Amino acid sequence: MAASDSPSAALRRRDLCSRGIRLAGKMRSDVVDLLDTYVERQGLDASASVAAVEGVPVAAVERWDEQTGTQRLLENLAAYRAFRALLAQMLEEQREQLGEADAALGRALAAVLLQVSAFAYHLEELLRLESRGPPSEEGARPPPPPHLGLFERKLRGLGVLRELAQWAVRSARDLRQLAKPSPGSSSAPSPAESP
Amino acid sequence: DSHTQYERVGADVTMKCGSMDWDAAVTWTANGTDIDESHLNGSYLILKNVDLTQSGQYSCYEGSSWHLKYQTCLRVGTPPKEPVLMCRSNNYPKGFYCSWHLPTPTYIPNSFNISVIHGTREMVCEKDAFPKNRCHVRYLQLFSTVKYKVTLTVTNALGKNSTTLTFDEVAIVKPDPPESVVAKPVPNNPRRLEVSWQNPSSWPDPESFPLKFFLRYRPLILDQWQHVELSDGTSHTITDAYAGKEYIIQVAAKDNDIGTWSDWSVAVHATPWTEEPKHLTTEAQITETTSASTSSFMPPPTTKICDKGAVVGSGAVAVCWTAGLVLAAYGVLFI
Repeated sequence: MAASDSPSAALRRRDLCSRGIRLAGKMRSDVVDLLDTYVERQGLDASASVAAVEGVPVAAVERWDEQTGTQRLLENLAAYRAFRALLAQMLEEQREQLGEADAALGRALAAVLLQVSAFAYHLEELLRLESRGPPSEEGARPPPPPHLGLFERKLRGLGVLRELAQWAVRSARDLRQLAKPSPGSSSAPSPAESP
Repeated sequence: DSHTQYERVGADVTMKCGSMDWDAAVTWTANGTDIDESHLNGSYLILKNVDLTQSGQYSCYEGSSWHLKYQTCLRVGTPPKEPVLMCRSNNYPKGFYCSWHLPTPTYIPNSFNISVIHGTREMVCEKDAFPKNRCHVRYLQLFSTVKYKVTLTVTNALGKNSTTLTFDEVAIVKPDPPESVVAKPVPNNPRRLEVSWQNPSSWPDPESFPLKFFLRYRPLILDQWQHVELSDGTSHTITDAYAGKEYIIQVAAKDNDIGTWSDWSVAVHATPWTEEPKHLTTEAQITETTSASTSSFMPPPTTKICDKGAVVGSGAVAVCWTAGLVLAAYGVLFI
């Protein structure tokens, strides 16, 4: 963690955090719009309760304020890598299901997928700055979804997007914590102490 | 033998004189005053269609010995109506508080019980010392999509009632209004007012959870407010104030990402800087003002009609004018 304490590294971290916060904000806004489109096009009820979806990273976290900078980055990166795969699956299913019929929904999904990929890359950059480097992606793919009927797939998609919207809010908060001057990130107990 | 007896408004109440027989000779008193025999059926006291004024201490004395045989405190009241419950987080992300009240009084003691469930987990709502009908919950998790379910049950001797609120973590976030709002004129600038304020002290971490602000201002003599939304910073300079007119200014706050706007802050008043007043009559002042080449009032740079909907939620600073306001402004000059 010594390298991350140099003034230039601190500036770079702050710069990456600011840009990351803006990315997260835009992503959240687009996911919220996508949720509206998705609900409408898939004929769902916006207030439908969706049980926890298998394979979807849950944004909810306990003792959030006690997390170290590295923990935040690792958890965020794992989440967005998972969302990247989940959204790709949703896009594929949507194309199979509707073909050309709903290009607008497909485009919106693809746009959000692009932002999720970009954000994952951004997080990898931040982790490199922490002298940690991002973990490899082996084994990070979510299990293939169980064979679901059309309606169950739509509900699952709703669950994915809702959780992604939560993550986008959390990520902005995480990056603001990271951007705070030293006590939060570099005084972590020890670099080895991550989950 | 003394106890308390609760009865509903409008009920018929029969009081027995302890273990005395029905045909025993007794005297009943209410708050020390003898009760007329017409209210008696044997030794029983009959009160029909009781009302609130009949609450009090009822005592029964044996006829000849005046021994006190029975005493009861009658409390006339009503069962509780559905309580009004409100939950709010003004200190996100620490937690939230819930407060409640009854829409109409019951006139007898009530007890309140509140339960807070998050998914399958029961959470503790710690009662506040003050105000009494309030408790607070600490968030154990953040960024959860699982809703909170808060049930308040109010019970008294005559019945019970309850109400339930269901909400998610972000829906109830509403900061307190900004504090220490100050508005000052800017020297040598007849159309400017400098406004500054502070984050509400109840908001625990404005650095990680920044607030955005909404400023509204108008001259006292006009009804229409102008609005400015500010994404960051705790100050703003108004640059289009009418010269010499007293303004009223308020600020509201909202978390950058979630929840709703706070109530408006306490209003502050300020008047833009003006030149030293000259000793002229009113008529001469008007003549002077209208003929001056550097008139202190200038038509606004744009008279674009602004879509009201664009004011709230936009990240950019927006100032709204209406054509009517411009016309009114010319009138103001001659007041």
